[in-house]
Amino acid sequence: MTISDDVLVDVQGVKVHFPIKKGVIFDRTIGYVYAVDGVDLQIHRGETYGLVGESGCGKSTLGRAILNLEPPTEGKVIFDGTDIASLTGETLRRKRQDIQMVFQDPLSSLDPRQSVESLLLEGMKAHGLVKDAKAANARLRELLKAVGLPAAALQKYPHEFSGGQRQRIGIARALSVDPKLIVADEPVSALDVSVQAQVINLLEDLQQEFGLTYLVVAHDLAVVRHISDRVGVMYLGALVEEAAADDLYAAPLHPYTRALMSAVPVPDPVVEDRRERILLTGDLPSPANPPKGCRFHTRCPWRQETRCDTERPQLRVVEIDGVPATHRVACHFAEAIASGEIRPHDVAAIAVDPSAQESDDFGSFGGPATVGEVTDI
Amino acid sequence: MTTRAYAANTRAGEPLLTVRDLSVTFLRQGEKPFTAVDGVSFDVRPGQTVGLVGESGSGKSVTSLAIMGLLPARGNQVTGTAKFDGTDLLALDNNAMRDRRGRDLGMIFQDPLSSLNPVVPIGIQVTEVLERHKGMSRKAAMPKAREMLDKVGIPDPDRRLKDYPQQLSGGMRQRALIAMALACEPRLLIADEPTTALDVTIQAQILQLLKDLVRDSGTALIMITHDLGVVAGLCDEVNVMYGGRIVERGLRHDLFAAPRHPYTHGLLGSIPRLDGARGEPLHPIPGSVADNLPWAHACAFAPRCSQPLPVCREVTPDFVEDGPNALRCHNPVGQPLRDQEVSS
Repeated sequence: MTISDDVLVDVQGVKVHFPIKKGVIFDRTIGYVYAVDGVDLQIHRGETYGLVGESGCGKSTLGRAILNLEPPTEGKVIFDGTDIASLTGETLRRKRQDIQMVFQDPLSSLDPRQSVESLLLEGMKAHGLVKDAKAANARLRELLKAVGLPAAALQKYPHEFSGGQRQRIGIARALSVDPKLIVADEPVSALDVSVQAQVINLLEDLQQEFGLTYLVVAHDLAVVRHISDRVGVMYLGALVEEAAADDLYAAPLHPYTRALMSAVPVPDPVVEDRRERILLTGDLPSPANPPKGCRFHTRCPWRQETRCDTERPQLRVVEIDGVPATHRVACHFAEAIASGEIRPHDVAAIAVDPSAQESDDFGSFGGPATVGEVTDI
Repeated sequence: MTTRAYAANTRAGEPLLTVRDLSVTFLRQGEKPFTAVDGVSFDVRPGQTVGLVGESGSGKSVTSLAIMGLLPARGNQVTGTAKFDGTDLLALDNNAMRDRRGRDLGMIFQDPLSSLNPVVPIGIQVTEVLERHKGMSRKAAMPKAREMLDKVGIPDPDRRLKDYPQQLSGGMRQRALIAMALACEPRLLIADEPTTALDVTIQAQILQLLKDLVRDSGTALIMITHDLGVVAGLCDEVNVMYGGRIVERGLRHDLFAAPRHPYTHGLLGSIPRLDGARGEPLHPIPGSVADNLPWAHACAFAPRCSQPLPVCREVTPDFVEDGPNALRCHNPVGQPLRDQEVSS
């Protein structure tokens, strides 16, 4: 029971569905984009939880749902004992002091007409943290020092900084209201590699210093593995695997995780020449029309005749030697795949050219224009 | 099979493209001229894949645009030569260059959606290249376009011919763009960040496709990317660019096994690796490109360098070639180049 005391965020069966509208005068809802479709996860106090997946898998929407920036269609988000999803108005606004967000593109998330000082003070004023000018000024300097910017930066405007420095301002703004949780949505993907490392290290240092809890949403598996304690892998709106970062890397159990890991390029030719690659065929199916059963079965090299296309697998603990109970996977055949009992299908595993059979599965991926627009949200 | 042997045999042969002292300076009224590419030289042999790696602002894309003659007509100054099979591409006029592009030189861009015409079906866009360069009628070109779509792995090509770009997914769009670039079997293909906008699983598909196409057709490929992982798997020879100049060149295995330039070394140290040890802090390169010194009388990287010498801020380092490897540094990581190489 000590573990449950430790839980800061408890996401229970969260679904976020976006309606697809059609018609000029009468808005008819002709379908839904199932962006997040039933996710349960816990984030413990002081840890970094990494959410990884490809574009369109719903990872950003889930991150926004946790802040109630995107109210969940169904399910609960219990933050520090309160259900965020049920809060409205002033109570929600007050609660947001505890949950702050760092966005991907620092330039578009910073008001170009506000100086850094005013950007940082805005949140503090809104939450009544500014007592007097002198204390506020000291606090601002402290913040800038924490993120590694000179005090002279206060009078400058966002355009005067480089991408990495802007991201530091974004982080300082998130820190300014003393949050408990920071949701970072692709915090380093807009940055150059040499600067990426600076920001990653900064995030790690700040966590140590202020005892923060992070939810890091990113597509880069190597970055997520580096900074996260636990990692959840998402595919088409649901978690397919969740484990401690090292366990996940040591023994990926879900076929999608295995494919994802084998696709990440490693900057080492020796490794690149030797490694086994699982090339997935085709593209991500549309979240407006997800496949029945296991969402991954249309692309899975280990797909079986039974269950995969009819029964949706739930996250479960598998009984495999050396795999801890914290490692959960949503695959019917995880044990058989891990033991090598089920071999990947030759055709699907190596086929770079999707075969004719594949085109049946993806027959609907174009879809009407409205679907394409809504899925971009 | 014969094509593969061809590619292997010519690897050591005469260069297909020889770029010498390529410089591009942007001139803006009321502003100081800015040199984006500064004396870049490299060779590309048939069947070879050459990588240009660097961060934003390193000049890698401008290099490729200059070679392709795609820079704006005004406001810039291009000097140097880019000899393609003996003809200097930079000296050709617009019409002659237009004949080359698409026929001898193919190019793939980062964002396939903005490189494709949104109101023209994919099939027509592929046939356009064939009509322009091979003098084929649209009717005759259509089966060839279908064949190209099939070759780049687009499922159900008959139907896709009639689709518009917005009806294709990102990966499929990039495949369509590759089909267009390869329709006339160019001898040189330039790929400018072809997978940056794609997801990793799709990236793996596209890289495999490029690898197979290059191997089977003997096309030379210039791969422009910021991702050292992509380079490690694909390129035969790697050029690392910084601040508009090539700072290090090496064969793929040599460069990654023993990076000599502190910048290359730093880049490799700052990337979290999926197969690396976790929990170890990364070693970022301090500062940003804004700190660069001008190359004219210093090493541009000196302010961010992990092991600068006083000379680095005073003298421009020479580009010292040693067989396939080359280096522009006063104080390289590890052993210095042999004495005779330095003096020559």
